[in-house]
Amino acid sequence: MKKLFGNETFKKILYGILSFVLAGSLTACSMFVLLKTTILNESFLMNSLNTSEYYMDLCYEITDDMVDIGDASGLNRSFFEGFIDEVMVRKDIQQYVDNFYAGEKLTVDTGDFERALRAAIDKYEKKKGIDPATLTEDSVNYFVKEAAKIYSKNIEITYFSMIQKKAISWSFKSLLYAIVLGVVVLALVCFIFFTNKWKHRGIKYISYATGASSLFLLIVSALVLVSGVTDKVAIISRSLNDLYTAVINSFLVDMLIMGFVLLTISIVLIIIHDNLRKKVL
Amino acid sequence: MPVLYCLLMFLILFVDTLPFLSDIVSISNMFLSDNQVDYSSSYENIFVPSDNNGDTVDASDVDFPGINKQFGELNIKGRGVSSKLFFGDGAVPLRNGVGIYAGSFIPGYGKTILVAGHNNTYFNGLKNVEKGDIVSIKTSYGNYEYKITKTKIAGDGDKTAYDLSADKENLVMYTCYPFDELGLTQKRYFVYAEKVSGPEIVGLYD
Repeated sequence: MKKLFGNETFKKILYGILSFVLAGSLTACSMFVLLKTTILNESFLMNSLNTSEYYMDLCYEITDDMVDIGDASGLNRSFFEGFIDEVMVRKDIQQYVDNFYAGEKLTVDTGDFERALRAAIDKYEKKKGIDPATLTEDSVNYFVKEAAKIYSKNIEITYFSMIQKKAISWSFKSLLYAIVLGVVVLALVCFIFFTNKWKHRGIKYISYATGASSLFLLIVSALVLVSGVTDKVAIISRSLNDLYTAVINSFLVDMLIMGFVLLTISIVLIIIHDNLRKKVL
Repeated sequence: MPVLYCLLMFLILFVDTLPFLSDIVSISNMFLSDNQVDYSSSYENIFVPSDNNGDTVDASDVDFPGINKQFGELNIKGRGVSSKLFFGDGAVPLRNGVGIYAGSFIPGYGKTILVAGHNNTYFNGLKNVEKGDIVSIKTSYGNYEYKITKTKIAGDGDKTAYDLSADKENLVMYTCYPFDELGLTQKRYFVYAEKVSGPEIVGLYD
């Protein structure tokens, strides 16, 4: 009895615990890899910006804000129709996002915008036959300055200035944690596989871990997606609302894919286990 | 076995996040809502013309307006001022009419009513007003008239241009100055008026 406990039962408990630790490490490692390749990755954000119609919505929002300031400045809506250039907006946001991930100061260069606005005002004066001598330069300057402030505020992505330091720190940490956990996972896999006399048993324990990890990722992502939480995101700016919803959805879909990959690995391992077991028998 | 491991991982995650659960829920609630956000610049109109030209109106009969709601009309006959009247002076009211600063009062309160409008749109006609002109404000709970007493040009940050603590009902309308100027101006054109008629809201503090 003592011998049995010392050998078989103890081994089962030990490998059961190791398999569970492997499942936890694999899940955590997957999450850090997901974070590093999605939310903390510049190309993921740029892709979300493109797929969410962010630029188009933002151009409408900037135009509306410009019309409001225009109403107080002798410029009606027609002046601003088509004035906000999506190419300029894209360029300025790209620069802003580059600065965000590079850890540089999050400022928006409004030089191009101001030049374009001044040129449009000059054109408007000529079109309306306004004598430049009758214009108060201070009023025009004040208008351009305030319009540039509005433009800059719209280019800045809300909350980004608040989370920049944390995001950069987490970008480094997530890579570090993913590597450390990856090494732990590899070490556990090797230990479980090579210390088992019967290789099919080792594979069985590894398949438990990958199965548990895949279930965890699949359940979490599917629950959030099915519950419709992303549809309840309610941010007062349409462009931001679209962006954050797209980011969350993409993250969840990536999590779902990761879950399926692990599930496939688990199924393959079970098939290998069964084949090896049949050979032994 | 994988199901058991998975449940155990959920349990550990739950125990780990338990101390921060209320924070997580609070932060999530800041960004989540059961109601769809209305991105249109439309507004709610609660104005229904009233025939109350009397001296009083009971507070219980007044539908107090919320921010960005149209609750009346403001007209200055023969001076080119005819506009919807909103509560609040943000983007939505000023795109569609003129608005009462939310830190002042609505007609009938017996205090200062501070109304803003753009000089190139709904308050462009203020340049034509003269002392003695009658400003008419119609609301769902009563019709009011104010007589213009004076006009004044002041700086955009000049808070002495109006008195929000006045105990006498008075109407102050303001817009950017000079009129029809191209660009943003740093001066404001104030038009002051005293109440002539209209129901006082009674039973406010009952």
